[in-house]
Amino acid sequence: MSGKEVTIVVDGREIAATEGEMLHDAAKQGDVEIPVFCYEPKLGDPVGACRMCLVEIEGIPKLQTSCSTPVRDGMVVHTRTEQVKHAQSAVVEFLLVNHPLDCPVCDKGGECPLQDITQGWGPGKSRVIDEKRHFQKPIELSPLVAIDRERCILCYRCVRFSQEVSEDEQLQLLERGDRTFVGTFDDRPYVAPFHGNITDICPVGALTNYTYRFRARPWDIEQAGSVCTLCPSQCNVSFTVRDEKVKRVITRDNHEVDDGWLCDRGRYGFEMFEAAERVAGPRLRGGETDWETAIAKAAAGLRASGGKVAAIVGDASNEEGYLLQCLLREALGSPHVDSRPSRGPGREAIVQLAQPDVSAKVRDIDEADVVLVLGTDPLHSSPILDLRVRKAIRRNGAKLALATERPTALDGGAAAVARYAPGGAAGFLAQLTEALTEVGAPSSLGTSSKESDTAGASGELPSSSAKRSEGAPTSVADTLQGAKRVVILWGERIGRERGATEALLQLADALGVASAEGAGLLEVPDTTNARGLREAGCLPDAGPGLSEPKDASTGLSAANASLVGKSTEEIREALASGEVESVLLFGVDPLRDFPDTPAWESALTACKHLVVFSMHENATTAKADVVLPLETHAEKDGTVTHPDGRLQRVRPSAGRPGGVRSNIQVLAELSTALGHDTGIDSQLEAFAALRDAVPFYADIDDSDISGRGIRWQETAAAANVPEASVGAPSERFAEEEGRSPEASATPRPSDEVPSEEGAPTLALGTYRDLWAGPITELNPPLKFLMPHQRVEISPGDAERLGVKSGEKVSVSQNGSSVEAEVQIKERVPEGVVFLAEGLAEGNANGLLNGGPVEVEVRKLGEGRA
Amino acid sequence: MSPVDGPGASNPNFPVDLAVSEGRVPDRREEAVPELHEVECPPELRERIETLMSRYPDRRSASIPALWAVQERYGWCSPEGIRQAAAVMRFTPAYLESVASFYDLLHTEPVGTHRIEVCTNISCWMRGGDELLDAFEAAAGGEDDFFVTGFECLGACDIAPMAAIGQRYYGPLEAAEAGTAIEQLKAGAEVLPEKALDRRPLAGDLPHPGEGADA
Amino acid sequence: MPETRILLEHAEDPALRTIEGYKGYGGYATMEKAYREMEQDEVLQELEESGLRGRGGAGFSMGKKASFLPRGDMPKYLCCNADESEPGAFKDRELMQRNPHQLIEGIAIAALAADAGHAFIFIRGEYDLQADILDAAVAEAYAAGYLGTNILGTHRDLELVVHRGAGAYICGEETALLDALEGKRGNPRLKPPFPAVQGLYGGPTLINNVETLSNVPRIVAHGAAWFRGFGTEQSPGTKVVSVSGGVRRPGNYEVELGIPTRELIYDLAGGPEHGHEVKAFYPGGSSSPVLTAAEGMDLPYSFEAMAEAGSMLGSGSIIVADDRVSVPHMALRTARFYHHESCGKCAPCREGTNWTVKMLERVVRGEATPMDLDIISSVQANIMGHCLCVLGDSMAMPVSAMVNKFRDEFEQVIANADPYAVVEAPPEALGASI
Ligand SMILES: Cc1cc2nc3c(=O)[nH]c(=O)nc-3n(C[C@H](O)[C@H](O)[C@H](O)COP(=O)(O)O)c2cc1C
Ligand code: SF4
Ligand code: FES
Repeated sequence: MSGKEVTIVVDGREIAATEGEMLHDAAKQGDVEIPVFCYEPKLGDPVGACRMCLVEIEGIPKLQTSCSTPVRDGMVVHTRTEQVKHAQSAVVEFLLVNHPLDCPVCDKGGECPLQDITQGWGPGKSRVIDEKRHFQKPIELSPLVAIDRERCILCYRCVRFSQEVSEDEQLQLLERGDRTFVGTFDDRPYVAPFHGNITDICPVGALTNYTYRFRARPWDIEQAGSVCTLCPSQCNVSFTVRDEKVKRVITRDNHEVDDGWLCDRGRYGFEMFEAAERVAGPRLRGGETDWETAIAKAAAGLRASGGKVAAIVGDASNEEGYLLQCLLREALGSPHVDSRPSRGPGREAIVQLAQPDVSAKVRDIDEADVVLVLGTDPLHSSPILDLRVRKAIRRNGAKLALATERPTALDGGAAAVARYAPGGAAGFLAQLTEALTEVGAPSSLGTSSKESDTAGASGELPSSSAKRSEGAPTSVADTLQGAKRVVILWGERIGRERGATEALLQLADALGVASAEGAGLLEVPDTTNARGLREAGCLPDAGPGLSEPKDASTGLSAANASLVGKSTEEIREALASGEVESVLLFGVDPLRDFPDTPAWESALTACKHLVVFSMHENATTAKADVVLPLETHAEKDGTVTHPDGRLQRVRPSAGRPGGVRSNIQVLAELSTALGHDTGIDSQLEAFAALRDAVPFYADIDDSDISGRGIRWQETAAAANVPEASVGAPSERFAEEEGRSPEASATPRPSDEVPSEEGAPTLALGTYRDLWAGPITELNPPLKFLMPHQRVEISPGDAERLGVKSGEKVSVSQNGSSVEAEVQIKERVPEGVVFLAEGLAEGNANGLLNGGPVEVEVRKLGEGRA
Repeated sequence: MSPVDGPGASNPNFPVDLAVSEGRVPDRREEAVPELHEVECPPELRERIETLMSRYPDRRSASIPALWAVQERYGWCSPEGIRQAAAVMRFTPAYLESVASFYDLLHTEPVGTHRIEVCTNISCWMRGGDELLDAFEAAAGGEDDFFVTGFECLGACDIAPMAAIGQRYYGPLEAAEAGTAIEQLKAGAEVLPEKALDRRPLAGDLPHPGEGADA
Repeated sequence: MPETRILLEHAEDPALRTIEGYKGYGGYATMEKAYREMEQDEVLQELEESGLRGRGGAGFSMGKKASFLPRGDMPKYLCCNADESEPGAFKDRELMQRNPHQLIEGIAIAALAADAGHAFIFIRGEYDLQADILDAAVAEAYAAGYLGTNILGTHRDLELVVHRGAGAYICGEETALLDALEGKRGNPRLKPPFPAVQGLYGGPTLINNVETLSNVPRIVAHGAAWFRGFGTEQSPGTKVVSVSGGVRRPGNYEVELGIPTRELIYDLAGGPEHGHEVKAFYPGGSSSPVLTAAEGMDLPYSFEAMAEAGSMLGSGSIIVADDRVSVPHMALRTARFYHHESCGKCAPCREGTNWTVKMLERVVRGEATPMDLDIISSVQANIMGHCLCVLGDSMAMPVSAMVNKFRDEFEQVIANADPYAVVEAPPEALGASI
């Protein structure tokens, strides 16, 4: 739309509007409500199906649908004339011809647009005495959503969501005319990661959540606005709360963050708040205990290790992270704190990435010329961004370029797809930058500019031994040529590879994102509040505000190695070697989520004193000396920082179980027990302290972030972000020289032994599935989504190994192996297989050891068992 | 363990749904776009659909022709056939089923091999279309390989009452001729040759019925 | 008075189906002239001056519509609407079956006028014979170099694809046709944008009826003036009229527009059977409000005269009801058709057609009251002008006309439920799909 300011007249009132905007929306600006059913701007272009929004426009004989009529200057509109009223009541009457009017037993009752519009615009009485259409009701559209086809008014919303927003194209209209109904292929369940959204947009009671059916009426509930912290997307949600308990999660539309959509993880992942596995109070090895004892024991154990302590923090708010690193650095005098699953770039690189001019915000994706996705599959790692990218392509013609190890959900819409081998990111990025800087890079060599969805897999990837990303960058480079607004979505994982983060920064530089408007880097982290925790100081080599670590006593920041702590991976090794004796874990489960499970097993076994803050019992809490309960994101009070720098407020919405206390208070007390009184025992105080410690948060106060949040980059204090010493080599990795990732693998006897009869080995790639982890184990309604270990393999390799989809195989390396079901996938490159991490059984983390891994795949019952 | 607070939060008369208390596993898997190796698509069907796709600027345009091809191959748009077409065209089977179910000539339920559509619309109705439909139904005697259905105007009111037999038009038909047609179909003989539309001269070249009754 | 066969000239000769036969009668000469000697604008001008009006129902000037297409080198398309599914209409079937090359030549010349490089014939799936004939003819035309690339050595290209529908009247509506051609469910689109500006695949698209396009070669051959020599000022040319129902010689008759309707019904179609009289007739297909014999029999058969009489010429299809026909039952048949064919996208049509059918079924079963007749009328009024396309109106117009003009008969039927009023369920019962 042109954006030109125009004036229109609605019901005699002058209204200022933007040329091209839909009449319905313009009228709304002027407080003229025009009823609608099918119209929902979030879904894209109007369809004009329901005809509810008909209005009179002077100069046009027929009534027009205001949802689809762009305003023109001087347009004169009437929404209350007899003609219009007649049309509106006629449409309502038509919509009710087949509607059962079973409001008393309908979950939508009281929050139903059809009810409201019937009251407001419908004819007082019904003239219909004929039989209404009948359907079996309600039936299971999916295990989570019930569909009542008798109530459906065929407004097209849900099917448009499926075609034009999530693009899963599973939910369709079937049959024709008044026989039309909403359904799926062959009556199969509608299972797709965003399908819960259809219950939010259905304007009648046709689509309802099984998890909410008959749970409450609008007048028994409250809505509490908060933020979902189940993944880095940090979508804005509203909890439907009844009797202090969460009954439902719905969207709290924030265009800057989620565009008004939620993934099913965030929508249905609330019953674990009350799961039996919930840690309901403090406990020791022996069993439950009271808080004093618990805190005393925890403190004693930590103090006993005299500085040989470390902390790893995962699912935590900014305040929690800040207090935790204070506790470690100041109370315990140890620099060993990290917030990453294994390792990552050093402070220098992180500071460079934090520079406002190179960072993009979520909304930049909408207007991007090219979206470059590197080393991540948003669908699994930050689902809501998957929808955002699709929107950019579908509605704004953005081009998508993909470079990943594993085929992604977005491949189908990509202009260019490149696959690099596991561990090949750094090399790929270097070549890509080269291809971009080479004047007139020859687009001939091994490209994959998308013809078919399976392109990109084809020929991209020589066998696992060879240099893997040869040539692949060209198609991506071609797509990037000349593009101005380039948004780079990159996965934090890339940063585990030596030199990759630097390569990424060089690429960003080559693309000139720093100077281009609306261009920049947007990280897809591994954990939900990764950015906030780093900025709060949960890094081994950086304090709050990404400052150089200071000496707790003198306050001097010396580049003194003793002030530089150990990364998560190093902590694990230090535990094994005894260099570190006790560990404090906050919202992490290394035995489930971190690479190299065997090494973590022995590390935690070797650990003298293990203190674990956890929401639920798990393999790690089972090893703990002290277990302290954590609040859920519906219970806690705090702030989180979105990967694009937006600080958002997590608000206590539901009641905590009796034995659970405020995380902030518990941390404060623990600190006091360790002889360091922070004088903090409320979120407000904690936030104030955090703000003092993080100079670039200085301008942000609680009120700013209450509603939609605010990006610190957009405040004046952004200038306080540490200077980036341009191009400085990353000390972390420099210091890691000598112990290269490969070497970091806990040496295993069979290391050099080649597999007998030289069974071919394949490179192993791993990924984190959207549904991996406790989410599907602790939320009964999501159980059916629990992923089972599948080894994804290319048709070629499957043929070579003589395995078929569905067969059971063992995937092994150096003695450790997992069982998996074969899944042949056309888009998997030859020479590589993929396994999922974080599963209850056959967790791929068991095979990882910090370096590239080659595996053997054997049919079960063949070869050595 | 009960993740919700006991049966029926707001109304004890409503049961707690299984999905909430125990989780519910769907009896079948959802169907996204199948990969070719997951369906046994006959090579000739695959080639046919690929050729069809190549005729249009956008492969989606080949949906209806592809569904015709599936129906020719399997007698109807069977779920298997739809999956095969979906794998070749790279659409979801749901999309193709949605298209198929919109159109009267594409069958998403099994139908007999001999398809007879009898027009019951205005002009044929005036000239005995209903009776003709009854006659065909009686003659087909509900045998499986006959599919007899009433149909909206087939665009041949000049030969009313008429029927489409195996996609070809015949009329005007006497109720008695229904039986003949069915017999000929069973015998594999040519159907009602003298009533085939293709053989019919222009109306204006037919003998004039003589003096019209002046109103 | 006899027919004036221009489109149907030589139609009795089976050889006309083949390219040799067609060329034998001078076929494709006009196309050669147009492609070799004429500019796009000259062709457009002839068509506009001829006053040729669309034969598909709307009666809009063909030349004008073609001139609406924006110029420029974006891909443009031409769609021939051969969906012919309106009850009573069967003229396009005759034209395609007997003279396919006339249509192909018309399309080729119209494509020149619209500067379209890709053309489609969307033919209803039921017309299997006619589609086969077209396929063969198109193949011949490609072989002879009248289609394809670098046509007749000029530097113009034209691809022509015969696209079979699969049974849905709504696909005749031009925007639904586009969706169907794009491989979707045939739902009408919002207008604007109009197809001429944004049609098939988002490109400028000219959509014309079979008969409209079949007229093009002769207009370009003999000139606009010659064409205006036939028919009336506002309805120039001849029209192939489908006459059916209660007449003794139903069929297609090509006549000059403007001849007395009586001549069509009596002299050409043979009138009703002995001892019977015409009670009413649809002058322009089942979508046109019925006229009583008294109202319509002596009207000139032209777009303007029919509009004046409160009805329309539409696709030019006359359905005659003689004095044996029960109008309430005819109303029910009519309503059922639109109910069955409604695409279901917009509420007034989807629900209005289904509600009307249910009420009319009660009427013929004698389970209604005169008040229901008022409700029926008001429901028709509630449909009209409120739908996304005009299918809804296409039922509302004839049904309300019948209720208004034959109210007594409706009340009689209600009073003593007609013993023949066995109302079998429509083809598929509601929800039967589940
Ligand atoms: C419900 C409906 C059905 C229609 N069916 C046909 C049809 O079968 N054939 C046709 O040529 N036009 C049909 N039309 C008219 C077309 O929308 C369009 O006006 C016409 O094809 C334009 O061609 P013309 O200008 O040559 O008449 C139909 C319109 C509507 C609303
Ligand atoms: S009027 Fe009928 S046919 Fe036209 S869009 Fe609406 S529902 Fe579909
Ligand atoms: S809201 Fe405008 S037509 Fe539905």
